[in-house]
Amino acid sequence: MMKLLDISKKYGEITHKYPFEPYKVAENFRGKPAYVYDLCIGCAACGVACPSNAITVQFNENKSKLVWEFDCGRCIFCGRCDEVCPTGAIKLSEEFELAVKFDKSAMIQRGELEVQCCSECGKPFSAKRLVKYSLECLSKANLGEKRLEEAKSYVSVCPTCKKTATVANFTAGKEMVIE
Amino acid sequence: MKTYEVPQNIQDANDLEQKLELLKHIGRSFSVYRIDCGSCNGCEIEIFAAITPLWDPERFGFKLVANPRHADILLCTGPVTRQMYYPLLRAYEATPDPKIVVALGACGSTGGIFYDAYSVLSGIDKIIPVDVYIPGCPPHPASIIYGLTTALGVMDQRLQKVSFEHDNEMPPAVEDSVLGNTLFERDLLVHSKRLMSYIFGRKLYDKYLAALVKSGNIKDTKATKTAITEAMKKEDDPRYAECLGILHNEIYTQYVPCQEEDKISLHRVKWGR
Repeated sequence: MMKLLDISKKYGEITHKYPFEPYKVAENFRGKPAYVYDLCIGCAACGVACPSNAITVQFNENKSKLVWEFDCGRCIFCGRCDEVCPTGAIKLSEEFELAVKFDKSAMIQRGELEVQCCSECGKPFSAKRLVKYSLECLSKANLGEKRLEEAKSYVSVCPTCKKTATVANFTAGKEMVIE
Repeated sequence: MKTYEVPQNIQDANDLEQKLELLKHIGRSFSVYRIDCGSCNGCEIEIFAAITPLWDPERFGFKLVANPRHADILLCTGPVTRQMYYPLLRAYEATPDPKIVVALGACGSTGGIFYDAYSVLSGIDKIIPVDVYIPGCPPHPASIIYGLTTALGVMDQRLQKVSFEHDNEMPPAVEDSVLGNTLFERDLLVHSKRLMSYIFGRKLYDKYLAALVKSGNIKDTKATKTAITEAMKKEDDPRYAECLGILHNEIYTQYVPCQEEDKISLHRVKWGR
């Protein structure tokens, strides 16, 4: 018995004071993904990478907005969204106090982005921010003037119209030379 | 899909006022019965981590019991497989009223990664009414302590629904490249992520660019070679040091015309004392 008391005296009190004192998690802890709306370009890389589909990037019903939605309840904290995000809009934070009472919708985070409509068919296909961001990236990528002018016209064309335009060009015998 | 109708007598005995009444006048410890509805055992390991002296939930009176008839709190984990459907119902009906049901883990709260699997019912709340959800895959012991104290009303809920609706249509600014070509930065980041994964890869990328800028003239191959070699010698972690050399040899030489002798010989670098 005395031996036991000696041992406990030697090691002291190891119980964490949490929740009465804040608890500091370890370095590189994977907590709740923190979303920075101003940096998000709506590229949907996180939605594609997410293994449990906790992040979804979809148009709303009338296709007027691109909705980025994150459900914390389904998230498995793997960090793939952090890995793929090109602008650092989503980063795993150190937040671990995630419990919610009764209402599961408190775990949801959403962000609505304006949609870009195709300049050919007028259907929405992407977020406006993504188109602007791509142009800005291209303008700093050491491209020729002519190539940049061409890029300006095709970034606002949806993939379907791009395909039809390419097919039309090929069948009409026009050659496309990209410098 | 609603598979189970909660009997009227259980529903009547479990409304919010009665639960609050229980919390106020309990006068004894809370007993927790843990039921595993087909989880991967990750959540169980974290529960056992949470009941060790390191966290000691008996400070608040939480005690694991072996029988649902002794329990006040049902701690349910797992996405509810078909096999565990009836045992869950039996445990729920056996627990004395009023009972508090806690769904633990991503699987317990919404089904997690199994949310659309054919063999599970995806989430405790599809079957029985749940009071507290603790997300996490698995939750940290501190999250479990937080969730259970939230269930008792000791701590407040931190998470709220967040919705951003006003888009200013301004994309984030693109930083200027050090070489005048952002493709260099792109390739550099991709290669450093490939070498050291995303967290450490980003640190490696920052270290490499800092060393490159320090050289003074970035297009001068001799100056950059000395600067990177200098940075490699100063680096404490040999993994970063070697990867700095690999980045210089494989990416930098693609963008700036280099001779063979401008590459860093990685075999000659000596690590440690």
